[in-house]
Amino acid sequence: MHKIILAGEHSLLIYFGHKIDPNLPKNIANFAQQLITKFPNLIIDLTPSYTSLLVSYNLNLSTHQQFANQLEQCLNTFKYKSDYASSALLSMPVYYGFETGLDLERLLTEKQLDLNAFIDIHSSVEYLVYAIGFSPVFAFLGEVDSRIRTPRLATPRIKIPAGSVGIAQSQTAIYPTDSSGGWNIIGRTPIDLSLNNPSNIDKFKTGDRVKFHPISKDEYIKRGGKL
Amino acid sequence: MSFKVIKSGFLVSVQDYGRFNHAKYGMSRCGVMDEHAYSWANYLLDNAFDDSVLEISLGAVELEAQFDVLIVVTGADLDFKINQKPAIMWHSVQVHKGDILSWGTLKSGVRAYLAVKNGFDTKMLFGSKSVNLREHIGTKISQGDTLDCAESFETSKRLMPIQYVPNYNKDITLRLLPSYQFNEFSISQRDLFFNQTYQITNASDRTGCRLQGAPIAFKQTKMISEGMSYGSVEIATDGLPIILLKDAPTIGGYPKIGTVFSLDLAKLAQKQPNAQLRFELINVNEAQEERVVFNQFFNIKF
Repeated sequence: MHKIILAGEHSLLIYFGHKIDPNLPKNIANFAQQLITKFPNLIIDLTPSYTSLLVSYNLNLSTHQQFANQLEQCLNTFKYKSDYASSALLSMPVYYGFETGLDLERLLTEKQLDLNAFIDIHSSVEYLVYAIGFSPVFAFLGEVDSRIRTPRLATPRIKIPAGSVGIAQSQTAIYPTDSSGGWNIIGRTPIDLSLNNPSNIDKFKTGDRVKFHPISKDEYIKRGGKL
Repeated sequence: MSFKVIKSGFLVSVQDYGRFNHAKYGMSRCGVMDEHAYSWANYLLDNAFDDSVLEISLGAVELEAQFDVLIVVTGADLDFKINQKPAIMWHSVQVHKGDILSWGTLKSGVRAYLAVKNGFDTKMLFGSKSVNLREHIGTKISQGDTLDCAESFETSKRLMPIQYVPNYNKDITLRLLPSYQFNEFSISQRDLFFNQTYQITNASDRTGCRLQGAPIAFKQTKMISEGMSYGSVEIATDGLPIILLKDAPTIGGYPKIGTVFSLDLAKLAQKQPNAQLRFELINVNEAQEERVVFNQFFNIKF
């Protein structure tokens, strides 16, 4: 089921499957935790993603072959679990408005939905954190209801304001800082997700769940949101 | 105790050995681009292997010492001077209060390193002092800023034997580990990759080195994003390689044909746009043995 391949002079990549599967993120996170406990001096970095885990190790202390064998043994005894209803659930307030949702008006026309229906579709789903990447605190969340899926913009925007909530096909995410990007922007959270607040570093963890909670313009501004 | 920044140059930042154990938070590896020149600078000062230095790209930098400090400058020849007089590189130098250190224009290589005894006293940011502007970690150095470090005095002169001083004008061949999707590229496409000379493009920075050449084809169109290691070589949709460097994102969805050996990435860090390069294969055992020898010499812990 799993497969280990070479990734670099001090890293290996473990595939836990070949398809995106909601059961994988929490299992991969658990396996990563197990490795840290088992090899505290050997592991120098771990990068979980949808179906894989990149493991970087101290090459002064082990070799590719030796470490690959050790990983193989760990994987053979690793117990996959399939019920993760107990993982953490975060609620994120979002103002879905035309001032903050730069692509909202276009999407409503394209999808032939009114604003309330659109908000309801996006905010009624419990999304799973599949991966963290692109930049710190950027969580790839899935899966978006097929009624509101949209491909990335043909030309990415130069600047998307911090807190913007976007959609790219079956994924949705919040931009933690001002950045460039090609996702369709549908709203914005007033919550500061930047690393100016260092505790944001592990705000989202792979395997956690996130639910968006619609707020009014007034509440958005009251909570520090900018238009 | 500090240096005052009189001219802040094109791209100057505090860097160290890098940010580890933070990839799971989406943070780049970061750290110096040329680990060879960096390691020599710390070695000649008897510093820790991971002490922070100033990475100076392309020059146009001027600093005023406001105290006495022992320094070493390594890496690119950017016309390094002290008080307008050519100064020695790869060699410990005692700098005095009021001295002006300057880096003018590029003579050979791209990145110079200024190391001070015990490193710069900047803030530890998520386990490292390395600045990453793309990730909003740390800030840009500007005119009028001060760079803090401790006062230090020379005890004995240390220098790099002249025969070890690298020639950055030499052509480079990057040794590539057959990693990631290497086996999924067809033999003819791999031949095309190894048998051509690539050219470094202008769109290269601390995130990645983009190459120009004959495009490589890859049949699989859609990949699931996965962790990318330092030096891995993406083949983008246009078939052209991007070598992922210190500030690259942690995950990505393009196929990767292999991973460049770290000590060759140090050489790449000194190459300018339009420079030419080729790839050849190296196996993981050889790469690990060579890196372990390097680590032992410089007392690098991992």
